[in-house]
Amino acid sequence: MTDYFEVHARDGPARLGELRLDPSLTTPALVDDRVHDAGSLWNEERETPEGDESTLTVLPHRAFPAGTREEVVDSFAVDYPDVDFPSAAVVKSDAAESATDADADAYVLSDANGFVGHASAFRDAVLAFTDAVPADAGRYLAGVATPRNVAVLAYAGFDLFDAKRARARGLEGFYLTSEGEHFLEDLDELPCACEACRKPREEFTRADCADHNANALAAELAVVRRRIRDGRLRDYVEGQARHEAWLTATFREFDDQYGYLEQHTPVLRDAELLAASEDTLRRVEIQRFADRVTSRYRNRFDNPLVLVPCSATKPYSESQSHSQFHRATQFRAHTVSMTSPIGVVPMELELTYPAQHYDSVVTGNWTEGEKAFVANVLQRYLERNEYPRIVAHVPPGGYTDIVERVEAELDLDVEYTVPDHPTTDESLANLSSTLSGELKFPKREREHNTVKAIADYMMGPGAGDDLFADVEITMTSRYPKLQIRNANAEIEGHGGENAQLATMVPQYGVLSFTLEGARVWAESDAPTKRVEIDNFVPRGSVLAPGVVDADDDIRVGDEVVIEGPKAFAVGRAVMSGPEMVESTRGIASEVRHCEET
Amino acid sequence: MSESEPSPEVYERGRGMDAHNQVMRDIRSEKEKTYDPHEPTRVWIDEDNTPDGVRQSLTIILNTGGCRWARAGGCTMCGYVAESVEGGSVAHEALMDQIGVCLDHEAEEADEPSELIKIYTSGSFLDEREVGAETRDAIAETFADRERIVVESLPDFVDVDKLEDFTERGLETDVAVGLETATDRVRHDCVNKYFDFADFEAACKSAAEADAGIKAYLLMKPPFLSEPEALEDMKSSVRRCAAVDNCHTVSMNPCNVQRYTMVDELHFAGGYRPPWLWSVAAVLESTADVDAIVVSDPVGHGSDRGPHNCGDCDDRVQTAIKDFDLRQDPSVFEQVSCECEATWEHVVEEESSYAAPLVR
Repeated sequence: MTDYFEVHARDGPARLGELRLDPSLTTPALVDDRVHDAGSLWNEERETPEGDESTLTVLPHRAFPAGTREEVVDSFAVDYPDVDFPSAAVVKSDAAESATDADADAYVLSDANGFVGHASAFRDAVLAFTDAVPADAGRYLAGVATPRNVAVLAYAGFDLFDAKRARARGLEGFYLTSEGEHFLEDLDELPCACEACRKPREEFTRADCADHNANALAAELAVVRRRIRDGRLRDYVEGQARHEAWLTATFREFDDQYGYLEQHTPVLRDAELLAASEDTLRRVEIQRFADRVTSRYRNRFDNPLVLVPCSATKPYSESQSHSQFHRATQFRAHTVSMTSPIGVVPMELELTYPAQHYDSVVTGNWTEGEKAFVANVLQRYLERNEYPRIVAHVPPGGYTDIVERVEAELDLDVEYTVPDHPTTDESLANLSSTLSGELKFPKREREHNTVKAIADYMMGPGAGDDLFADVEITMTSRYPKLQIRNANAEIEGHGGENAQLATMVPQYGVLSFTLEGARVWAESDAPTKRVEIDNFVPRGSVLAPGVVDADDDIRVGDEVVIEGPKAFAVGRAVMSGPEMVESTRGIASEVRHCEET
Repeated sequence: MSESEPSPEVYERGRGMDAHNQVMRDIRSEKEKTYDPHEPTRVWIDEDNTPDGVRQSLTIILNTGGCRWARAGGCTMCGYVAESVEGGSVAHEALMDQIGVCLDHEAEEADEPSELIKIYTSGSFLDEREVGAETRDAIAETFADRERIVVESLPDFVDVDKLEDFTERGLETDVAVGLETATDRVRHDCVNKYFDFADFEAACKSAAEADAGIKAYLLMKPPFLSEPEALEDMKSSVRRCAAVDNCHTVSMNPCNVQRYTMVDELHFAGGYRPPWLWSVAAVLESTADVDAIVVSDPVGHGSDRGPHNCGDCDDRVQTAIKDFDLRQDPSVFEQVSCECEATWEHVVEEESSYAAPLVR
């Protein structure tokens, strides 16, 4: 039971938490003056400490340093007492399981010196440790944080740190910043304006340097907290981690642990996603979008495909170039945008996270990595979706290279309409004339296909057809705020004629269900993400202790159906499914609509 | 434990000890090298502070087949067991050959015969399974004309009859006991050495009956202790030893990283740092008032695998320690200072065993 730690927000494995001491502390944070070490059992037998509400008490421990063999860890394992004050248990990263009976509020790793500084060892330690300890317990990485490494440490999922190492480095004559470690004696001027640095260079001592290092670490953690709140820590880490090889290697090692990152990565955000390096291609959000577009989504139009380049303005349809493309195609083609780093974006999903949320560095020059990625996605897309004709309205260079690669690979016949630039009169006229004779699709088809495409994307292959198979839907309001209503009053208990089932949310390009819609969804063949709750009627949200069970594949931001003996509800997940089940504190899901049953 | 024989069979009890022994056996099995039973492990000439003043000393590491306890697993920091002979025991003639080599060395290296003879075995000189009664008597005879002899032994083997081989020949005799720490819990769980402080006290008493003295060997910073814990353990251990009657000398030695040990594995993985030389100095300085000679002989000072400070001041602090050994004057430590003392103070203030080492 983690009474004194709560995770309020997540950004990948990183968490914005609260150490609920008196006064409380927002994490990731330094806890130097908030922790009391009740002492080692290696040198002394110790009583269970008294503890108090203002301090995180590290329970009497036998710390196993890096390199301690398993036999020794097992035989000297400590039975931590179950206490009713804020407490932390000391564990070795690969043997944390044994200590979880005590239900401590936080866990301290004893072997950080063995893996901090080594990317693959760090990855292994984090995976083993986080797998063993409860999801909602605080994670304390003691004695290793520096201004340079702490963003990656937090990105990997640690919450609590201290300034002990940073201070020690200062006393040793090293001036630390978020970008490096400098010999103090080599600094002609101090590259900082913190309180400790506001004195003449010649009066600046190693003790001042220790203070500066602690200040720099605290400031860096404030940046990290801000970034987690904004859902933009990854963008920051991609840049900041480049100041040290092992840190860059570390976030790449985690990118190879797709399962670990994916479970913790929200399916939607309202924050911008900046693609400023090729590492962005390996982000969960990018990989997930590409995967869903090529394995869940299906094109439902009979018209030719027109491949177009992306635009800087999002959503694409609001850009000048896409308006021009649209005037040329006139609803006679299914428009799919090609883009690095997203891959391909069918027009129905142009609002869906992260399609309208990313920004990239545009120079017109494609790297081989970008080309390979987009070509791969386009190929998978075209293997799954057949078109009567394929028109490539893309500029020469990277875009055309990619299309030609896929064309050869799949033995397609692609019609190219851009001799120079896609928005020249000549190109646009080419596009229009290429499509002459093709039929226009009506507005109703476009709207229905958009809703179905979004359902595919959210729920799984075929979901768009299965979801509303038993109802006759009609649309009201205008794109992108489509309201999906039930035109068939025969269906019992679904609110009668024209009852609203769902709304398209323009900010994220997802569906948000009403109670009636949730019932239709739950009864349909479309995969539902379910949260089973205890015997109560939730108001506004479901807290983790109230969750009896939850589907493993629920992610932060997912639309979920909430059911219990007393209630039926629909809402948006705030935790992943496994976290809902494991956690004893915090909001598991927001509840949009609820009814007592 | 005081009634028991130190056989591996008796010692091997308790979960922690089983684990330590299992691991140490496994680590030691990696070492294949064996040694010639006719050569001592090491021999050297030095100066030592004795109750009668500073004397030239001949130190002999006798190769007796190694420590019996180490064959069961043994102490977590000790690599000397590796320095043993194939087959496990050494015959009388071979041991006397080793003594012969040592005398030759002394004749070559020193102008005068050493007044002090120190014999270590990486085990127990007084254990008759290592050094038989015949050999012990012959060695006593060999050195009968010297002033003082020190032999190493676990407390269990200290008895009047054996020591009288030396004392009745007029030799001032001391038994060097590897107590490691006065804290039983640290000796058991961190060092994996299984006798109690009470056994040490009993040995001091037995030695007194033969008119011999006891020299306690302490180990600063076994694995699993933080720097401040190690420092406090030594401060209290020096005082507790010095307070025992007949324990006239305490040799407090910082742990160094020896090959084929648990400490070596921890050090390699980043989980162990030998103590700071400032810690050694701090113990000597703070216990200078005790009624015993307190010395320290840091091995491998200034290196990553030995006790060290920042790299700049290691030699100077080592010199001060050696100076203190001979003069017992704590003011020698006022003569050395370095910027890294502030780092060391920070470590002593802030290092916890779950975040150690804080500084390499």
